[in-house]
Amino acid sequence: MSSDLAALRERLEAQVGAGNLTVDGAAYAVDGMVPALVVRPGTQHEVAEVVAACSEAGAALVPWGGGTAMAMGNPPRKLDVVVSLERLDRVVEFDPDNLCITVEAGMPLGRLQALVAERQERLPLDPPDADRVTLGGLVAANQSGPSRLLHGTARDWVLGLRVVLPDGTRIHCGGRVIKNVSGYDMNKLFIRSFGTLGIITEVTVKLLPIPATRATVLGAFSGFAEASSVLDEVQASFLLPEALELLDPAASDLLRPVLGLDISGAFALVAGFTGSQSTVDRQVRDLEAMVASRGGSSKTFREAASDQAWAAITNVQGGADARRVVCQVAVPIARTASMLASARTRAAAQGLTATVTAHAGSGLVRAAMLPGANQTEAGALAGLAAVTEALREEAVGVGGSLVILQAPPPFKARVEAWGKPGSSFATMRRIKTEFDPQDLCSPGRFLGGM
Amino acid sequence: MSNKVLVQELRRVVGEANVIDSDVHLQLYQYDAYLEERRPDAVVFVHSTEEVSRVLKICHAHGVPSVPRGGGTNLSGGTIPFKGGVVLEMIRMNRLLEVDKGSLRARVQPGMFNLELGQALAPLGYQYLPDPASQKAATLGGNVAENSGGPHCFKYGVTTNHVAGMTVVLSDGEIVELGGMAPDTPGYDLTGVFVGSEGTFGVCTEVVVRIVRLAEGVKTMLAIYDSIEKGSETVSAIVAAGMVPATLEMMDQLVIHAVEKSLACGLPLDCATVLIIEVDGLKDDLEEQTEAIVRLCKEHGAREVRVAKDEAERALLWAGRRGAFGAVARITPSYLVCDGTVPRTTLPLVLKKVAEVGEKYDLKIPNVFHAGDGNLHPLILFDWRDAEQKARVMKAGMEILELCVQLGGTISGEHGVGLEKMDAMHLILSPDDIQAQLKVKRAFDPADLANPGKIFPAVQEVSHVQ
Ligand SMILES: Cc1cc2nc3c(=O)[nH]c(=O)nc-3n(C[C@H](O)[C@H](O)[C@H](O)COP(=O)(O)OP(=O)(O)OC[C@H]3O[C@@H](n4cnc5c(N)ncnc54)[C@H](O)[C@@H]3O)c2cc1C
Repeated sequence: MSSDLAALRERLEAQVGAGNLTVDGAAYAVDGMVPALVVRPGTQHEVAEVVAACSEAGAALVPWGGGTAMAMGNPPRKLDVVVSLERLDRVVEFDPDNLCITVEAGMPLGRLQALVAERQERLPLDPPDADRVTLGGLVAANQSGPSRLLHGTARDWVLGLRVVLPDGTRIHCGGRVIKNVSGYDMNKLFIRSFGTLGIITEVTVKLLPIPATRATVLGAFSGFAEASSVLDEVQASFLLPEALELLDPAASDLLRPVLGLDISGAFALVAGFTGSQSTVDRQVRDLEAMVASRGGSSKTFREAASDQAWAAITNVQGGADARRVVCQVAVPIARTASMLASARTRAAAQGLTATVTAHAGSGLVRAAMLPGANQTEAGALAGLAAVTEALREEAVGVGGSLVILQAPPPFKARVEAWGKPGSSFATMRRIKTEFDPQDLCSPGRFLGGM
Repeated sequence: MSNKVLVQELRRVVGEANVIDSDVHLQLYQYDAYLEERRPDAVVFVHSTEEVSRVLKICHAHGVPSVPRGGGTNLSGGTIPFKGGVVLEMIRMNRLLEVDKGSLRARVQPGMFNLELGQALAPLGYQYLPDPASQKAATLGGNVAENSGGPHCFKYGVTTNHVAGMTVVLSDGEIVELGGMAPDTPGYDLTGVFVGSEGTFGVCTEVVVRIVRLAEGVKTMLAIYDSIEKGSETVSAIVAAGMVPATLEMMDQLVIHAVEKSLACGLPLDCATVLIIEVDGLKDDLEEQTEAIVRLCKEHGAREVRVAKDEAERALLWAGRRGAFGAVARITPSYLVCDGTVPRTTLPLVLKKVAEVGEKYDLKIPNVFHAGDGNLHPLILFDWRDAEQKARVMKAGMEILELCVQLGGTISGEHGVGLEKMDAMHLILSPDDIQAQLKVKRAFDPADLANPGKIFPAVQEVSHVQ
């Protein structure tokens, strides 16, 4: 450790207490880069002190919530300190009558859901790893799950934030009312800023009442065309599914034992419905009929079984294999199904093992890819890169993008995590420079090495 | 630099007839729906993104500020050219460029009226959800710039929840794309940051909006109360019962009288307040929902609840609500709309306090507002020719905003800060909060030429000295 960092360590220790600082950063490595210090401030005020100390020492920091999205982004240009928000996990204020809650940024989403459920309320967001995701991380990465179809993303639920800026200044954005145009909408700046503009320390979100009932219909089809035509039919109908997932045969086969599917190798279309008994029943009926009319077979899950089905579906691309490359392709909604097919075909052509799923009503396709059984490491890497670049080109061609959600360092060294920046990049850069002139907050991790 | 040179250069770009610089005509552009006036040096009618870019390059070269103007219906002085310069008249950029039903997006020019877009989408079976009461005369560009709300925002959110991308021309003439037809464009969410920036970040020349299917069914109710407290208690009771109606709008007696005088919608004149409640969605449970709401209203003191029998009755109720500001304008020379927002449960209290402010300053203050959102619109009536009265109005307005903030709310729910509420910004933002917002302003508009002098006056002066 350099003498500068040793001095910083002393100062941080004085701020947060020796027990809340460690020099063993192995568990907090970012893209293989191990931080010299990991610090766990216990209050928002301490976060501000820590950030100010880092800023004065010229130390680069990366904020860490639940760690579920740390695989996203380019490798940091520099990493000295990881600031873990795990001790910031308190409820600041729960106002069930106004459907709103304020919590510290390190509060895990699962805990928040359990808490508000006591008052029959929920935050209708379901990102992958929903139990471990922290509210701060959810906001900073704006990751979404299937329910994005009806409920959008964190962007649509955040009412207010408190943020520590890169120089240690504390600011607040928004408030706790559901309409607010008092000055700029600063919440939007920090949502999806991936720790590059400061550290989010407090989050206020609005909530919804828990719906009376919920059900999930899974339609299994032997062909892609049938699945995709039912998808089109649902989208053109009056039905209001909360989630609409398209699964390729690899994904549906992985789910077969959990969901008890009869057929293998099926394209599956899964629709989640929530609401009153009469609307849910009607939608289940309508969808089952649509599936049958295209020769598919359907299976319906209700209440707790419905939740279990979604938990399995959301995490179908997880797993510990460090070689895994997961990318997310964003396209106009109408192109979602064809993009799923394309990802599947391209991966197969390279001999890769791929699982492809899509938030079919939202324009997002997720491909998880692994080297094929008898591929060399170099061959697999080349294949993975080729598929990713080809998909990216295809997505960009229709106005979309491709983002790497997870990949081993050699892959990231080869393929840019976010793709090429567009015409608004100069403005983004100016924002970054205004807020973080020393380039110390998650340096290099974001778009264009920002 | 003389005005003449500027005007000549502008004319070379947009053509002789598309630049106005005669005194008489400029007068038409010196006011909007707020109370301040300032004359621009020139008005330019623009027709395309490229034209806007060329116009702004000229302005930039001359260091001349510019202000885009849509319908001019904003209530905070947003379109007043506070520091002079050029007003960009956006109204001719009013085409619907593309409707992609499969992708649930439409691409629109910013000068199109909100209602026109609705009318174009409806025959296709689709709609754009944000629906400001001013939708006949407010443009999508103005909606974007103000992050406008509307009666249906309780269930569906405000403009920012329905804008997926846009084309923007920055004050130096540079054209940038934000967001787009596909979701999650990598990088900062500049679309989200731009919405609500009140013309101070640049000119929006194209908008990509989310569209959705028209609802399968809708039911509209009118709940009539003899006490305003009871009405506002019902609002919270409905929400507490786990229901999410599409709208929860409220009008008090003074407003009802004004509406009946000019529009004759059949509202009862002898009640204290009415709620307009609408539920929409799949038709299967609308009856059920309606019954539950009628029951709740009655339990909370409604003397009568009418359910609109057909589209004509429904349209009449909405004509009354949407026409409320206009109707009030007919019974008073001027009014100030206070756009404060509070947590919904404090509505009964805040309405009582607003009435007290009216008594204290001897002013009439009718109320018509988005109750479900906790978004008040006390209308303080006065005569602009009476300077003493106007001073009292301004004090009363500020007191109402302070009240909202004390109750956990904010100073503007949907009308923006503009010139109107610059002095109230310190009620909710610390100097550091304001400095952070100014960083974003500088990133978009380093030369401070996009609608300057709005939102943050005092601090901006300070930051210029630095
Ligand atoms: C009777 C009445 C009822 C109203 N009801 C509501 C309501 O229910 N909900 C609500 O939210 N508001 C309401 N308003 C306020 C107003 O209608 C909205 O703020 C509306 O969005 C303004 O649109 P406009 O086209 O008139 O914009 P303008 O008044 O012309 O402009 C507003 C601001 O937007 C900027 N601007 C305009 N076009 C562009 C562009 N293309 N690019 C960048 N900036 C631009 C202007 O510079 C200005 O700062 C109401 C107003 C009236 C008079």
